[in-house]
Amino acid sequence: MITRINIGPVHPSTHGVLRLVVGLDGDTVKEVEPHIGFLHRGVEKLVETRMYMQSPPYMEKLDYIAPLSYDEAYVAAVEAALGVEVGERAAYVRLIQLELQRIASHLFFLGALCNDMGQMFTTFMWGFEDRDRVLALLEEATGQRMFYVNMRVGGVTMELPPDFSESCLSFLTYFEKRIGQYESYLEKNPVFMERMKGVGVLSADEARALGVAGPVLRASGIDYDVRAARPYYAYKKLNFSSVTALKGDNFARYKVRMLEMRESVRLIRAALLSMPEGSALGATTKLIGPAAKNRTVSVSRELPRGECMMYMVADPQRPYRLSIRDPSFINLAALPYLAREQRLADLFAIMGSLDLVMACVDR
Amino acid sequence: MLIDSIVSPIVSDWQSWLSSGSLLLYAAAILAYAIAMLIVISVFAYVFGWVERKVIARIQHRHGPTYVGKYGFLQNLADLVKLLSKEQITPENADRVLLAIGPILLLALTTFMILLIPLSPALQATDLGLGMLAIFIIIAFLPLLVFVSGFASGNKFADISAQRSVLMLISYELPMLVVLAAVALLSGSYSIGSIIAAQSGLAWFAVVMPIGFAVFFVAMLAEMERPPFDLREADSELIAGWLTDYSAPYYALALFIDYTRVFLIGLVIAILFLGGWSGPSFLPGPVWLIAKAFAVALVAIVIRATTVRMRLDRVLRLGWLWLLPLALINLILTYIIFVA
Repeated sequence: MITRINIGPVHPSTHGVLRLVVGLDGDTVKEVEPHIGFLHRGVEKLVETRMYMQSPPYMEKLDYIAPLSYDEAYVAAVEAALGVEVGERAAYVRLIQLELQRIASHLFFLGALCNDMGQMFTTFMWGFEDRDRVLALLEEATGQRMFYVNMRVGGVTMELPPDFSESCLSFLTYFEKRIGQYESYLEKNPVFMERMKGVGVLSADEARALGVAGPVLRASGIDYDVRAARPYYAYKKLNFSSVTALKGDNFARYKVRMLEMRESVRLIRAALLSMPEGSALGATTKLIGPAAKNRTVSVSRELPRGECMMYMVADPQRPYRLSIRDPSFINLAALPYLAREQRLADLFAIMGSLDLVMACVDR
Repeated sequence: MLIDSIVSPIVSDWQSWLSSGSLLLYAAAILAYAIAMLIVISVFAYVFGWVERKVIARIQHRHGPTYVGKYGFLQNLADLVKLLSKEQITPENADRVLLAIGPILLLALTTFMILLIPLSPALQATDLGLGMLAIFIIIAFLPLLVFVSGFASGNKFADISAQRSVLMLISYELPMLVVLAAVALLSGSYSIGSIIAAQSGLAWFAVVMPIGFAVFFVAMLAEMERPPFDLREADSELIAGWLTDYSAPYYALALFIDYTRVFLIGLVIAILFLGGWSGPSFLPGPVWLIAKAFAVALVAIVIRATTVRMRLDRVLRLGWLWLLPLALINLILTYIIFVA
């Protein structure tokens, strides 16, 4: 007999406002039906009524875990529409900030995952302690802690402060040690391992068919990372190599993110040491519309949650249409497949391993 | 026969008082002792609640409560006042009577159990020959009451939680009782006094049978529903499990029961394995016993702060495939080494 239970939209582990209608047979999940839209704000439509550079604050509120990455993806689309090249130093500055944001986002993922599996906020608090250090660095670099609105067409709003490189490098040294500590703390815990290994397996074929994005895709063994496939900024120069795992289970998804943090640390360090001289500042005016050269652009960026594609039809003053292909939305679509025939408790572990942000699912 | 042996000491006790013509005095003495124990329990629960918040906060690099009272000591009191001043909302399709009496019965049973546990040879309500066995019979009732309360609220999360409670019961009672049998084998009795006396004669049973101690501790964590076995109140899955539809005073009561149960389990482990009230004489026996119970509870706190929750099927597998065989091995080893 199937028992239907309604989980959410207000529930301790639905990462915001996700509603799941779950069909249960005993303790086994037979079907999951996600209902979304509780946080729909019509951002894509809103953008059509704003001039180009009035929109980044809205973009940042889509993904409140990694706002800067969304900001950058949108501004990159605007730059493509205008045909503006990003300055050489600005590319490095952006890369450093994006990778710092990725670390901050993955730390949030780690804490949320442990919470979903029933830990009492311990990893969450530890992760937030380190995330706070990252935010402090970003505050130094951008002037804000949460919503940075730091990208300008062709560059960023402010130069890195003179002592940034030093404080960032000392953070990286500290953080590399911390990643090792997280890994040994979690992976030596048999309860954690048995909740992670072999749970929610997504094979490479299924991953391809479902079109999942980012770490979820790479955990299934498909080596696709926009940073490597279609490199932007200095990723190619810094020899970025994407991280993949083979098994496609919860543990693989967790491990991919841990390794990505290590890769980010390496990238930031290399970028800091080889940063070219010059100016990183972008255009200051908001009225940059009339110069739009390309009518239709589509820009792809590797956000912490996966590939985000910004498809924009440009008008002189404002976007005529903006469509966002969001990684969380696409990964959420994989949840019903992953959770089928799993235990009820694992439904939440799987949801945690997908690292969903409902604000960008609902847009 | 079992019932006889449990009831007869009480009855004989009662009869001796009756024959001496002071039934009223007997009743008054028992009542006074019960009230005194209730105060001890409350103080323990309160202090434990505060220590738990503080210890977990320190593990998580936080400060925990700081504002209400010195070091936030009065925070739980403030929370209690808040909970008591709120409204209890009963769902429409709930069984009102069962919903109301569930937590009250739970509290009554927990308190009754602690009445059966002497704090020192002199400080006890009644000395049952089968004291420990009686306690374990009552412990087995606790998950059943949780089942009743969860079932009564008519909430599906509470229902799932209630079912989990019973599943946990069947897989953890057995290893626990087998370890208890090994303890009785060594001490020659289920009486609490003689279990402690046997330990001061030999050594702490935690040292004598480490396997049994480990099995018992894990089973007790499950019995207490402490992480990693907090499947019943699994907040990230079942919101608050069987407590989902309890609010205000009943929720306060449920939290209180949670802490009393920790006290109870701490006492049981201290008596069975850590030498009970025996200890260096600069402190009185009851203080040693309560201190040992507190130490056990502290270990449970640290485990709670650092581990993730186990899955239901794994919990059952652990109970049947690991704890039960280990408990049996412990029983056999104990027999071979100490008896045969």
